[in-house]
Amino acid sequence: MNLIYAVSLTLSVVHSFAGGGLESAQQSAPSLTPSLFQVFAVVLAAAFFVMSIAAIFRGWATRREGGLWAIVWLAAGLAIASPDLTVHLAGFLGIGRGADLVLYCAVIVMLIGFFMVYARLRRLRRDLTLLSRHVAIRDAAQTTLSDRPTAPQAGTK
Amino acid sequence: MTQDISNKSQLPTPPAAALPHGLFIVVPAFNEAPAIGPVLQELRSLCQNIVVVDDGSTDGTPKAAQPHATYLLRHPINCGQGAALQTGIDFALLCGSEYIVTFDADGQHRVEDIAPLLSPILNGEYDIALGSRFLGESVSMPPMRKLVLRLGVLFTRLVNRVNLTDAHNGLRAFSRRAAQRINLRLDRMAHATELIDQVRQSGLPYTEVPVQIRYTPYSLRKGQSTRGAIRIAFQYLMGRVLP
Repeated sequence: MNLIYAVSLTLSVVHSFAGGGLESAQQSAPSLTPSLFQVFAVVLAAAFFVMSIAAIFRGWATRREGGLWAIVWLAAGLAIASPDLTVHLAGFLGIGRGADLVLYCAVIVMLIGFFMVYARLRRLRRDLTLLSRHVAIRDAAQTTLSDRPTAPQAGTK
Repeated sequence: MTQDISNKSQLPTPPAAALPHGLFIVVPAFNEAPAIGPVLQELRSLCQNIVVVDDGSTDGTPKAAQPHATYLLRHPINCGQGAALQTGIDFALLCGSEYIVTFDADGQHRVEDIAPLLSPILNGEYDIALGSRFLGESVSMPPMRKLVLRLGVLFTRLVNRVNLTDAHNGLRAFSRRAAQRINLRLDRMAHATELIDQVRQSGLPYTEVPVQIRYTPYSLRKGQSTRGAIRIAFQYLMGRVLP
């Protein structure tokens, strides 16, 4: 899922650079003649959007997770279907080009993603440590304590 | 903070080095097969309760430790020294220990230092005694190692607001109630600083006792590199930010 997401994000960035930026600069009518790429990518985004929603109802994802993915796919689909949208939004935010806006968003999303993965990794390792410690103490209590009921006499130096 | 001489006349049992019955020595070990045997042998001559925690070693450390360890605990995977210490402390408490000493497996500590380390706790003056190599004298400490350790102390002083001369010494002694308040969360070497945090927060009295460190080529190779020290500092700070 993540990989697909990354690919699609890259595609939308490339598309914005190639199509969105130039086309809008040349004032062409983008929505009337969709390119092959646009058709393909929008269908893909729509499919993933539906899957994200479906995942919530099937219990594969929490409402928050699924909702977040749905928003991402919706945004990706819209940005690809009408690149002008990102241009307007970029202009509104004071960013020069629509492609730049997509790029900035992608970077921010990825940074947040890295951090979340890092935090989860920490938690996971923590749980693994607790499990290992539990196993070690349980095993020792079971075997060693019964094996050696009397320890040797304490010596002196 | 040296030998406990005051009790000498009252007790018929001999020397100051005699260690109490309820003492458990916890030895965390990760890939220490070449060194751990002699270390445990020495410890065993002093104390009947040696808890070795093998931290997922891959070099036959458990086999080397088996003949000498009273209790051998094994982490199925490598979890880090902090975790190994915590496992050993928990187990010692489970066995009803009254005093716990932690001792490194690589032969850098001297068993002679255990009795002086324990005496402030046996006296009831303190609950925690931390070994300090800077109060004592270290045999052949390389200058770079010294600098890194000093920086570690400075870090501890700034972050933990505790004034200690040696923050990262593996030789420590705890009373039972002090050990019960220790709960190390940080896996890797950052636990040393975390432990000092908890010592401070416990409100129990602590002290430092001079100990000697033997810097052998083996223990140096196993010890922390300068780069490792920076990583530890980062890890510790992250540990304070993240849950």
